[in-house]
This record gives sequence, C-alpha cells and structure tokens, in this order.
Amino acid sequence: MSKLSNVWVFSDTYSRLAEVISGGLELGQNVKAIVLTEDESKEAFAYGANEVFLIENSDSNNIVENYSKSIAKVIMNEGKSLILMPGTKRCKSLASLLSIELEAGLVTEVSEINIENNNINCRHMVYGGLANGLETITSEASIAVIASGTFENIQKDESKTGEAQKVDFVENKNSIKCIEKTSKEGSSVDLNKAKSIVAIGRGISKQEDISLAEELCKVMDAELGCSRPIAEGEKWMEHERYIGISSVMAKPEIYVAIGISGQIQHMVGAKDSQTIIAINKDKNAPIFDYADYGIVGDLYTVLPAVTKALKG
Amino acid sequence: MKILVGCKLVPEDQDIVVQNDGTLDTSKAAPKISQFDLNAIQTAVDIKKENANATITALSVGGKKLENVKVRKDMLSRGLDELVVVTNEKYENILPHQTSKILSEVAKEQGFDLIICGDGSGDLYAQQTGIKLGALLDVPTVNGISEIVSIDENKIIAKRALENEVEVLEVPLPAVICVSADINEPSIPGMKAILAAGKKPVNVKEVVVEDSALVDLVEIRAPKKKERAHIIIEGDSEDQIAEFVNNLRKII
Repeated sequence: MSKLSNVWVFSDTYSRLAEVISGGLELGQNVKAIVLTEDESKEAFAYGANEVFLIENSDSNNIVENYSKSIAKVIMNEGKSLILMPGTKRCKSLASLLSIELEAGLVTEVSEINIENNNINCRHMVYGGLANGLETITSEASIAVIASGTFENIQKDESKTGEAQKVDFVENKNSIKCIEKTSKEGSSVDLNKAKSIVAIGRGISKQEDISLAEELCKVMDAELGCSRPIAEGEKWMEHERYIGISSVMAKPEIYVAIGISGQIQHMVGAKDSQTIIAINKDKNAPIFDYADYGIVGDLYTVLPAVTKALKG
Repeated sequence: MKILVGCKLVPEDQDIVVQNDGTLDTSKAAPKISQFDLNAIQTAVDIKKENANATITALSVGGKKLENVKVRKDMLSRGLDELVVVTNEKYENILPHQTSKILSEVAKEQGFDLIICGDGSGDLYAQQTGIKLGALLDVPTVNGISEIVSIDENKIIAKRALENEVEVLEVPLPAVICVSADINEPSIPGMKAILAAGKKPVNVKEVVVEDSALVDLVEIRAPKKKERAHIIIEGDSEDQIAEFVNNLRKII
C-alpha cells in the first residue's frame, strides 16, 4: 500500500483523537491535526501529529459544525488531501458540509481503507450490516469517516510537544446556536460489551418462557438478546436487545441461539461471535450452518436440562 | 410555511437474498419508504398539526421503482400535500453527492422554509444527503434532531441527541434538519388517507446533473462466512443432551 504525503485529522471528541491520528500515521507520512482548544493541541502532538492548527474562537454557543468554513479554509490554504474523522454524529455532519466546501468525495462508516495510486478505497457497511460496499474516492480532497475500531488506539507520548499554528475563525452565516447542553443517560443494556450472549427467537412460544433462557444467562453470566420477531413483533423485549440488521452487532466470545432459525438478517449481528451454539428443533434451520456446537431438539426439553447440568 | 421532505425508496431488507458469491439479489425485495424518511414525513405532519398554514411536499429521486403507482400512493397517504419525483434509469444506485445536487435543484425551484430529511437511508446509510443538500442551498443544516421543541416563522428550537449528550439548538429558518429514528413513531395511514392519496398531485420532473466523479461505488458484497466446527447432535434424548453439555463444557 502506498502512503500519502499528508493526512488531515479532526475529531469533535477527545477520546477518539488517538484513533484518527493512528490512522493518519498509518496512511500518511505527515499528519496534520485541526483542533479547537489548546488542550487538544497538546494531546494531538502527544499522539504523534506532526503539525497542529488551532482555530481560535471563544463563542461557547457555537456548535462544531459552525467551524466548517474555518476548517475548509485551513485545508485549502495548506493543501487538499485525505481527511480522517471519527464516526460521531457531529463529525458525520461536518464531513458532509466540508465535502461541499472542498469538492471532496466522502465515505462514512468506513471499516477498512487503503490507498492505491492516490485513490482512496473504502469499505463500509451497507444494508444495515448485511453487506459491505467498496467505494473509491478519486477527488483531490477526500474524506473518510471511520467506524470505531478501524485503527488501533496509539499510546500518548507526553515528551512529544509542539506549538500549534493559530488560525482565524471564519464567520459562518449559517451558524446554529447551542442554547443548552445536557449529558445523556445511556441505556443500561449494552450487548456490544457482553462476553456471552444467550439469544431467543420464535421458538419460544410464550412470554413467560423467556425465564428459561434467563436461567441459563445466570449460569453462564450472559446477557439476554433476541431476534427481530421477539423485539419488534411480540415486543416482549426492548429494542436494545434485538440482534441483527440495523440493530445490535454483537461480537461476544460465546453466542447461544435458542429457537432462532438463523436468517441472514439476524446472523449479520451474531456471525462474528467466536463460538456459536445452537438449539433448534428443525435440523434444516440455517442456524446450524453457523454453529460450532448444536443440538437438534425441543428447546423445552434441552434448555432446562442444559441449565441444570451446567449449574451442577 | 412550506415544508419539503426528502424521501427515498429502498428494498425491503428482510427480503434481500445473499447469493453464493456474496452479491445481493434485491429482485424479490419490494420497494418501501426508507425507515428514517417515515420519521421525516411524520415530523412534517406533526409540525403541520400545529401550523395550519403549512404545506408538505415530498421530494424523491430514484430509478424505475419510483414509477410504481403503489409506492407513490403509499408516500402520499402519509400526510403529504404533494409529491415531486425525479426518475431516471441512471439514478438506480445513485450516490449522495448526486442525489443532493438533484434535490437542491428541485428545492430551489419549489422554494421552502424548512427541509426535513432522515438521518440516513435504509440501504447505503451514508448519512450525507440531507447535510449536503443544506450545504448546496447554503442554509443552516444539522443532523441527529430527536425532538422539535418549538417552531415559528423565523426559527426552530430542537433537541439533538449525540453519543453522550443532548444539545438544544436554535436553528434559523430557512434550514435543513435531518431527524433520527427516535424523534417519533410514524403513524400507519388509515383507510381515508389511503383513498385520498389517489387524488393528490404527483409532479414528475426531469433534472439532469452532470456525472461528477468524486466517488465510485465499485461493488456491494456480503462478507465471507467464518469457518465453524459444525459439531451437531441430532436428537434430544438424555444421553444426547449429556453429550451436548459435554461439548459446551469445553468452552463455557
């Protein structure tokens, strides 16, 4: 893979600066970071940015997108190239605004990126995770908004310091004012972090029977998940537990599918599990194509017996 | 108040078939309104409830599927006053930088106070079209809107749910806002609305934009399946369950 001479990076969120700088260092010889505060400038140098540009503005009512014209001006003055940003809501909208200002090709949700003859090839998820699209950016300026985990976080080296180049804020007639900011309460359920998941599907015939799966969860110290019919059709479980297309994409160590037929629309959210275990009465169910261990049998017989055996 | 809504048709994802070579067969997947765009339409309908003088025009760009009378009626039955469609065979797999250009041409011609789009589409989910549209029209533009707090002739006050915080924003009009899926629960059209939809105007427009070579979509393909052990026991007798449990003990 060839390297670009320069890669630009920007992150609206401190915690994701490491990952875009890491990506920049992998794809380019020189990493130029654009930041909005002195603190962030220090961080950028410590993570290995070669040059830092600080846009000075003291108006705290500004939203990040109001900096689009300022950022575009820096890039235009210094030279167009690839711009990397993390996949946050703000960066996605900023990226689209910049793509018009800079006449740049843009790809979002990028999970893999490589450079060939100065063209930027980006893979990204489409159809809610069912497939990947491959897009090639051919314009002089290009923007890739990357999915988390695409690049390894690099370690900070506090001995690396530098002086940021200060640039003026460019007034934006399309400014949006932020009049209040509150932190958000997250949902208590996060299947993305679960080491083990027990998931149920249509094979469970009554809502009360979910307790059978909950028992197994206790024994295995697993989180409970489900397929679409259980969350969307029956509404027996909350949306945060629904695994599959346009919802949870889980990568647990162990995934136990109970009474789940294994349609692709569900499996896109489970197929990256390290080990898949299936309990299903239909031996032709597609779930067995994905399974490492499976049993063809009635879940109402198998499930309580398995829970009991593992408990002992 | 003139409201425009961006509306895309996408194939029903539950009916997309992944073929052996990883390519997708969408021929059996009926076209439907992209989920986020239903939220966008509902947002416009809710604004109209409070503002009797508001009108809602949906704009849709696409290929052959958009010629389908049934899906046009489906769009119109959801509270629109009018539908403007731009169809062309070339627009079958159109990318955001082109869609936004076409939409901006139509929006300029129609005039608007507010344009509402979904945050992204159910197929490519690039999450670019609405924002690019706003940038092309040179008006205030923002994504992730999760609640409309108030709206008058000059501005919208709206909440925007980000990863870890919620912003309350003052957006001067005219503007483009992109809404998230949790802004509302789109209502299902009743019989009366479905019947009335047939009488509502559909305006077909020709808009040709030059092919701009910023980005090429090279392919869409499902990733390869991981190799699995496939140790499957056929039957649920006591012995068979015991054997299954023994297999599980190796990993649990």
